[in-house]
Amino acid sequence: MNRYLEIMICIACLLLSAVIYGQKYSTRSGNLKFEASMPSFEEVAAENKTASAVLEPTKGDLAVLALMKGFRFKVALMEEHFNENYVESDKYPKATFTGKVEGLDVSKLTSEPKTYPISGDLTLHGKTKKITDNAKISKNGDKIVIVGTFTVKPAEFNIEIPKLVSGKISDKVEITYNLALAK
Amino acid sequence: MKRFFVTAVCFLGMATAHAQEDLLSELDSTQVADTYATAPFKALQIVTLQTTKMAAKNEFYFVVSHRFGSVEDGISEFFGLDQATTKIGGIYGITDWLSVSASRHTLSKVYETGVKYRLARQSADFPVDIVGYNTIDINSALEEDDYPKLEFADRMSYITQLLVSRKVTDRLSLEIVPSYIHKNLYNPELENDNQFSLGAGGRMKLTKRLSLNMEYMYNFDKPDFYVNPLSVGLDIETGGHVFQLLFTNSQSMTESGYVTNGTGDWGKGDFFFGFNLYRVF
Repeated sequence: MNRYLEIMICIACLLLSAVIYGQKYSTRSGNLKFEASMPSFEEVAAENKTASAVLEPTKGDLAVLALMKGFRFKVALMEEHFNENYVESDKYPKATFTGKVEGLDVSKLTSEPKTYPISGDLTLHGKTKKITDNAKISKNGDKIVIVGTFTVKPAEFNIEIPKLVSGKISDKVEITYNLALAK
Repeated sequence: MKRFFVTAVCFLGMATAHAQEDLLSELDSTQVADTYATAPFKALQIVTLQTTKMAAKNEFYFVVSHRFGSVEDGISEFFGLDQATTKIGGIYGITDWLSVSASRHTLSKVYETGVKYRLARQSADFPVDIVGYNTIDINSALEEDDYPKLEFADRMSYITQLLVSRKVTDRLSLEIVPSYIHKNLYNPELENDNQFSLGAGGRMKLTKRLSLNMEYMYNFDKPDFYVNPLSVGLDIETGGHVFQLLFTNSQSMTESGYVTNGTGDWGKGDFFFGFNLYRVF
């Protein structure tokens, strides 16, 4: 057997694996928002438009990754303090979620959103916590759209809020996600 | 031949392992991390010298600073607090890398305008932040009665500084400041019209929201009359604002006065208490 053929077969094997496992849905422009505002105080909220996510449709495995420095605040100083003091982005640059959409059947998805439970591990600021949420999943053209909201507490992720500003930052942070995944 | 099968099996093995592996690892490659060093300094000033921190786009900083009289004067001047000098001014970020400032100083009734511009940022690819800083001071305290031939140009001083900083660790940031000052009006018996100096400063974070700052400036063109400024300060971050408490041997808050006209003496207890206060809009 000559060398050329060997290489061709190897590439074929690689391609085959890519075809078998290449039916995943993914995005690099997932939208994550969080809101920790208190009524009548300055808004504490940020948005990340560059989260990436991947969905394995047969088993319903879902993974989401966002860089902490990708969260944009209205106030630059707030963003700086968020990165420097609250989530310590240089030490913990990423937030990740790995989990499963229960009972997902892609062929049954329509443009009408259906509710599916999602559960998995959220890792943030070096701490991992199990979360569950009911997501609304729909199909928009070729895209699978996953939308939902859940609440976390900063204390559960060792994110310290100093006493001086504790009245201005909610201890329940609402996280909204909107992922439009394409093949 | 044997080697080929090993290779082929390895590839197939990899593919299978790949499927079982966390989906997460696939995502890692899709994100390009922003490696810029965040917040080498909490405030726009170390003590009196500028830091490499910039006002962000459309941010407006309102600044009030005080330098009190000499602590040496003791209780009769309430350790200098009776003799407050004030700087009041504003800084506006035109873009993230360019800001303009204007301020009024009690001492010598100086009007100061300045421009600060970032030339480079510290990141994984570049070791330091580099920022340029230029100010023009207009001394409005000079009287024609004292200087009959006084022209407007005589009131002016020009300051050019390069600020080079490195965030060494999360807690320690260092800065060096080469500085060139030109004064149109000067007393040749006491000083030169052109003065080069080199400063160094830094901050050490004591806690997340508290840092100890220090700066020193060596003036190469200074006759003996004035002293080189040496200052220590404490940054206190109170949620949104930064409050800087400081002690210095040079009372002036303009760059030219601070660097070239220091009169205190740390050794004799002749130094000044002060603070800088910023409010961001």
